[in-house]
Amino acid sequence: MTRSFTVALAIARKDLVSEWRTRELVPALAQFVVLALVIANFAFEIDSRSAPAIAPGVLWLALVFAGLVAFGRAFASEREQSTLEAVLLSAASPAAIFAGKALAAALLLVLCEAVLLPALALFFGVPLSFGLVVAILLATVGMAALGCLFAAMVAQMRARELLLPLLTLPLWIPFIVAGGRAVQVAMGASGAMDQALGLLLDFDILFVVLTSLAARFVLDD
Amino acid sequence: MTRYLAAAGAAVALMLAAAAMIFFFAPTDALQGPVQRIFYVHVSAAIAAFASFATVLVGSVIYLWRGSLRADRLARASALVGLVFTTVTLVMGMLWAKPIWGTYWTWDARLTSTLVLWIIYAGYLLVRRLAAPGRQAARFAAVVGIFGFVDVPVVYFSVDWWRTQHPGPVIAADALPPEMLSTFLFTMACTLVLAGVLIAIRYRLETLMDQQPVGSVVPSPASPSVPSHLRGEANS
Repeated sequence: MTRSFTVALAIARKDLVSEWRTRELVPALAQFVVLALVIANFAFEIDSRSAPAIAPGVLWLALVFAGLVAFGRAFASEREQSTLEAVLLSAASPAAIFAGKALAAALLLVLCEAVLLPALALFFGVPLSFGLVVAILLATVGMAALGCLFAAMVAQMRARELLLPLLTLPLWIPFIVAGGRAVQVAMGASGAMDQALGLLLDFDILFVVLTSLAARFVLDD
Repeated sequence: MTRYLAAAGAAVALMLAAAAMIFFFAPTDALQGPVQRIFYVHVSAAIAAFASFATVLVGSVIYLWRGSLRADRLARASALVGLVFTTVTLVMGMLWAKPIWGTYWTWDARLTSTLVLWIIYAGYLLVRRLAAPGRQAARFAAVVGIFGFVDVPVVYFSVDWWRTQHPGPVIAADALPPEMLSTFLFTMACTLVLAGVLIAIRYRLETLMDQQPVGSVVPSPASPSVPSHLRGEANS
């Protein structure tokens, strides 16, 4: 058990170091989310009255598509350099490898969120609260587990860019329903925040357990 | 093949009998009028779809557990049939909703989760097509089949938590008059038979396709491929 944990941390560290050296993904994603806010501003004609109603939707749209790119890249680099086979050939268990990849991708997405949320607050004038940040982080955990599972799958298939959103987005909907509710409440809608957060936590536990069980079948050749 | 033809004929005859019962035996609903007759097919198709997807789940779990090709073929056949019945459910439901609710679509828990169900199993069939044929396609699709089955109740639950307007279960509540209940039960039985026959035929087709070499199904750039219908004639 501790061995798997060490392996997962080593894999995550490898991915983070490689991202730090190349600095490819995070700057591109940060630019992407800011662009998404600019486009939303013109598409919706946002003013101070409409912002609290529209901002949660814009946040989730930007986050979901940034997440798809981040998780897709998690395995794309391994595939491009054919290093996935090498990693799989080592004695490490597929679940540990998968956990490491998901951890690194989730941390990269958190960095991107650290740009998205302040930019949203700045451009749309909506408040940032503790509950909102917790909701986004909780959703990121489950989304990373599911996103990386299917990213690992499509990395071994044809038409992977096409298929990743088709497989991942429907499975993310529970997180978007509960997380979307939490963000709406944080931005002024009426409702119970703790209910939405509890639900997000339940979904996290369910899907983290399921994906770690399924990792063996996706990463095993 | 005659066995399958006979089964298909019987299923069609049963569905026609169900249609006759729906239109001539069941009474007209006092509030909704003739539109209510959609209910019999709509709910039956939904139950057939769920039964098919439950079969996909069972087949997927058995495949991942035992590596049984037969379980995989069953899952493949059921996913396609389940998708067809989900389409019927959605279209019938929308036709009913327009006169009764005044709108074709609303983001209610059942509607949302049925749509998500449809999208997930459409993805399942895409995985089948795009993964390397054989073990990989079977393994990946099995994972999608299992996740899809888990995800749909979760979607239902999370939407239901905040809003829903779909009519509640009327069968369990004993709210149907006996003629309506017997019409519904007969239609449901016929639809389940139809689903079973369709799955059996599809299973047979999948078996035949598995027996052909991969190259005849998916042409590879290396070897000039023989069209599959020509190869089929050469074999028989």
